Amino acid sequence: MWLHLLVLAPFVAALLMVVTSGFDSKSTSRIAILLGTVFTVFSIRLISVGSIATTPIEWFTLPGTSSTIYYSLVSNGISVWLVFLSCFVSLIALIAAKDSFGINYKNFAIGIFALLGAMNGSFLASDAVLFFFFFEAMVLPAAVLIAAYGGLDRKAAAMNFAIYTLAGSAPMALALWYLLSVGEGSSVVHLTMAYQSAPESLKFILFASFALAFLVKTPLFPFHGWQAQAYAEAPAPLSAVLTGVMSKVGVFGFIFWVIPVFNAAESMMNTIMWIGLFTAVYGALMAIRATDAKNLLAFSSMGHLGLAVAGIFTFSTTMPSAVLVLLVAHGLSASAQFVLTGIAERFACSRDLKQMGGLASRNPMFGFLFGFAGIAALAVPGTAGFIGEFLILISLWEIGPLPALVAGVCLVLSAVYMLRFIQAVLFGKADQVKETPCHKISSFDAAAVGILLVLLVVFGVKPNLITDSLNGIVENEVVADMEVSQDAN
Amino acid sequence: MIPLWLIPLFPLVGTIVLAIIALSSSDSKQGPAESITGAVAVLFPILSFLSVVTLSVGMPVEGIRGTIGTWIDTAAIQVNIGFLFDGLSRVMLLFITGIGSLIAIYSVGYMHKDRSFARFFAYINLFLFSMTILVLGDSLLLTFLGWEGVGLCSYLLIGFWHTDLKNTKAGNKAFIVNRVGDVGFLLGMLCLVSIGGSALLSYDALNAWLLNALSLGSISNAMPLLSLAGLLFFFGCTGKSAQIPLLTWLPDAMAGPTPVSALIHAATMVTSGVYLLARLSNLFVLIPAVLNIVLFVGLLTAFWAAIAGLFQNDIKKVLAYSTISQLGYMFMAAGVAAFDVSIFHVFTHAFFKAALFLGAGAVIHSLTGEQDMRRMGGLLKKMPLTSLVMIFGFLAIIGFPGFAGFWSKDLILERLYVSGPMGPYVYAIALLTAVITAVYMGRLIIMTFFGKYRGSKENEAHIHEAPASMLIPMLLLSVGSAFAGFLWAGLIPGAEFFREMLAPVVGAAQSYAMLGHTAAHLSPWIFAALGTLAAIIGMLIAWYLFMRPVPEAKGGSEPQGFGASWTFAFDKLHEYVGIIPTKVVAWLLDVVVNTIIMKAQWLTGGIIEILGDGIRAFQVRKVRLQAALSFIGMALITILVLIYGGLL
Amino acid sequence: MELQASYIQIVALALFTIGLAVTLTRRNVFFVLMGIELALNAVNLSLIGFAKTLPAAASVAGQILPLFTIAVAAAEACVGLAMIILIFKSQESVDIDNYSNMKG
Repeated sequence: MWLHLLVLAPFVAALLMVVTSGFDSKSTSRIAILLGTVFTVFSIRLISVGSIATTPIEWFTLPGTSSTIYYSLVSNGISVWLVFLSCFVSLIALIAAKDSFGINYKNFAIGIFALLGAMNGSFLASDAVLFFFFFEAMVLPAAVLIAAYGGLDRKAAAMNFAIYTLAGSAPMALALWYLLSVGEGSSVVHLTMAYQSAPESLKFILFASFALAFLVKTPLFPFHGWQAQAYAEAPAPLSAVLTGVMSKVGVFGFIFWVIPVFNAAESMMNTIMWIGLFTAVYGALMAIRATDAKNLLAFSSMGHLGLAVAGIFTFSTTMPSAVLVLLVAHGLSASAQFVLTGIAERFACSRDLKQMGGLASRNPMFGFLFGFAGIAALAVPGTAGFIGEFLILISLWEIGPLPALVAGVCLVLSAVYMLRFIQAVLFGKADQVKETPCHKISSFDAAAVGILLVLLVVFGVKPNLITDSLNGIVENEVVADMEVSQDAN
Repeated sequence: MIPLWLIPLFPLVGTIVLAIIALSSSDSKQGPAESITGAVAVLFPILSFLSVVTLSVGMPVEGIRGTIGTWIDTAAIQVNIGFLFDGLSRVMLLFITGIGSLIAIYSVGYMHKDRSFARFFAYINLFLFSMTILVLGDSLLLTFLGWEGVGLCSYLLIGFWHTDLKNTKAGNKAFIVNRVGDVGFLLGMLCLVSIGGSALLSYDALNAWLLNALSLGSISNAMPLLSLAGLLFFFGCTGKSAQIPLLTWLPDAMAGPTPVSALIHAATMVTSGVYLLARLSNLFVLIPAVLNIVLFVGLLTAFWAAIAGLFQNDIKKVLAYSTISQLGYMFMAAGVAAFDVSIFHVFTHAFFKAALFLGAGAVIHSLTGEQDMRRMGGLLKKMPLTSLVMIFGFLAIIGFPGFAGFWSKDLILERLYVSGPMGPYVYAIALLTAVITAVYMGRLIIMTFFGKYRGSKENEAHIHEAPASMLIPMLLLSVGSAFAGFLWAGLIPGAEFFREMLAPVVGAAQSYAMLGHTAAHLSPWIFAALGTLAAIIGMLIAWYLFMRPVPEAKGGSEPQGFGASWTFAFDKLHEYVGIIPTKVVAWLLDVVVNTIIMKAQWLTGGIIEILGDGIRAFQVRKVRLQAALSFIGMALITILVLIYGGLL
Repeated sequence: MELQASYIQIVALALFTIGLAVTLTRRNVFFVLMGIELALNAVNLSLIGFAKTLPAAASVAGQILPLFTIAVAAAEACVGLAMIILIFKSQESVDIDNYSNMKG
């Protein structure tokens, strides 16, 4: 029941937003934020429920195959947290965008809700075709939102984003179709069997087609061409959703689709680990050279997610908790940073780091939040990021000292760019900041970001709040069975 | 018995209260009332100090342990949040919270009328919280929390006056250089985890494991990893304690307010590396090769920084280099497995260096921010009490008989000679360094307090003794720097209180290190006499060299010529080893690799576009023609189907 | 005299050709639309003609089909005319050769 609600209700909410009056943006935003809060509450409820599954509903049969496609959802220890992240970050985005778009807020909310439904769907789908459906469905609202609300280069950025991600997942569609046509179903188990029976020559192509889709989505080097531009041009609240949640779909795909289905291709897995590590270094170095605030954050996200992907492909026992904590921590801190950077952009009327500065003395509250978010992104112990990176380091150390050392270098590099970023935005003479009508962060925004930061500290002190959901998998399978039988009744 | 977690809790509460005050008053014009803020700011460190004292009084020999919950609990890693209060952490906590409180009181006077009064004390309280966690944590991971926490506070406080980018850059440098060391710390922890699981991160479990492995003889299997871990931990210590090669940040860190330099960059934070070595003494005595590295790094650092101290004109920079040099002494002591002595030097150094810094702060305060010693002079008459404090600190640091530094430095020199590898040579260099210490510190005192006043006229008018809130902590610290040494007066029978306090923690390790070591026995009087001689010779040299008119100051206070190349040797090294390669690689990735990728991406796009253009040529402008073409196409298909019977 | 099925097809073909020719040659968009309608009706006629050749029961079904087509065609004509009016409003022209905005 919760699963259906979390996947379908956002689409209903989007339809609801269609019928609201766009001209009264105040009440529209209230409705949108209220709905977002409701979804967040649902997702918290889902965390406490844990792993459940819905009764599969027959959807259609793919022509040319004997596999029936089911509409069926399932949750597990990792996906419940990612669903929470998507609901919560969407809520923050709705709050942060409250005063930005005027009468267009309505359409923004429609897009965000559609995106939310698609993201939740891809986290919860247990059927490969359903997953692919949601995976592709994410692109549309995101691209439309970038094209409609972005910066100067928004059209190009949106086109680039859409074409890149769609082209990246096209091979996956073919590979999926092939696996369905040789196999008997579209669940992970069936796909695995189909993959095992595939001829040797095709195995690598199948693996590469799946991996490519997630490599582009995450993105990892060298498939990151769309990312910096899209994140930079998108409005800041949307960038928060894109990096906080949508990029996680790629990581999620690696964990739940690539690894189980292609467990034979171990050597390739190792390659992906190195790609992840290289991406981490690459993202950090590019962030050091970035001159645009949002570009810097985009590359920083890329670096963190590279580390997460590298962690996944160590296959150590620490891996699930490490990746989960890192993803949640990055989702929270990166969204906070994007939202705050959006506000800084409004203060300074520019995204160029050289044009910013002095915001700490001009606006201490903003300075506090921004500095806090930056420090949390640095993985200082006591924040959730540290737990994630420490556990990832342990996983990498099991592979060998070299991967761990590379990750350590990334920690240093992340300090370099993050401190530069903080310095460029907050410090320096206040007169560098242009006089703008609003130079105070609104208390509503501050509270929204504040919650993100408090959560980061809470999870940093008590990471078990997150990782306990992983332990519950075994006992909750019973619950899942009960849920299934109840639904059947 | 009060619970252990009260000690870090008080400064944490202080941080939160002060942060709320700072943020809520940020909109008002005049800021929060200094009296209330100051009272809150001082109250919590003092409360913390009082709880440390209360706990110290009734502490059993084996220490007090308290666990307040699990921190990380996953399939492979379990770490608790637990505190360990034993002889070592007691000493550290006593002076951390004690001197911390004194410096907080001092800062109330020093930061008077500063716009960010509350923010400053929020940081100070946060620092005390992190520092108490660092020394109180019962596992390496918790210590690491404090370790990075103090680094963070150091960053925040160095860049405290953030409208000047020079300060924030110094803060960035401090944090980044420390981060490099911290990665060593992290990797060291990983080594331990891979030896015996996450349980080994706890100090008690590590010691028990080492003891067990030693008695079973299975230690040799783990030896490579243990050595690596030791080396990595030491690398972490070089970052935090400003040793070669990661020492460049400390002189720059003087950009922060002077009380910060006294508290963080002299008395407490920079000594946490020494603390870690002592805490892991059982590990380090098993790997003598690493200890030798520690010894020689310490020796080199002490010598190099002493020379660099000679070239500085900025009064705080002189003190910064002397701090590095004294830290070198502490590491030397740890390098010959004399952990108790190194902690003793940490203890005495905290008093006299804090006194020196606070005195320097008072001088800078009364000269409205002038830090160049060439523009000082003759302050003895104008600020007699401050001069007295500084001279007490001076006598302590050069090891004048009876003062705190005499006892601890003398002990270090003695242990170097007796139990170190190449003892006599190391001893000779260390003694030479002591002479140089006396020279550059004598230079500081002479240039600041003797001779004629050389500064600007407008400053001269309001040179004054510091207010009481600054003077009292200074005087207390100067008393400490005079008498703290008697806690372990080796020459006085029965006064080895300090060693007995530390014995339960590091005693076993030290006696293990001494096993099979036939000590050359020399009378302690010889060492004391030589040490005194070094101090006196240094003072005489300083008197001879610097008791003359100082050439007028031109330009900045940065050293010139040979002094500059010596002082900035390691900055250059960092630049060539770290910064430039990073920049080059980043440039390569950005300009070359990224461009290639982008070009490839656009090339692919371009090819598809050209193909599309080709196909689009069939699309003609006239609707009618288009319709005709469609019809012809359809007709063709129909004809083909008819001819081939629909089997196409 | 029995009406031969092939005659009907011939008439339908003639109608269709006329319709197509009108569609392709006239520039006035209304004539084009009329041409399309004519061609469509030719197809309907053709359908009826073929239906006549079938046995009685099936023949009825075949003759009903054009009724549906006519209904749909009516709807289509509505939409088509509406679109043309809209296009006319923006283009101020009934010349179909001017309607090339959609060209990419």
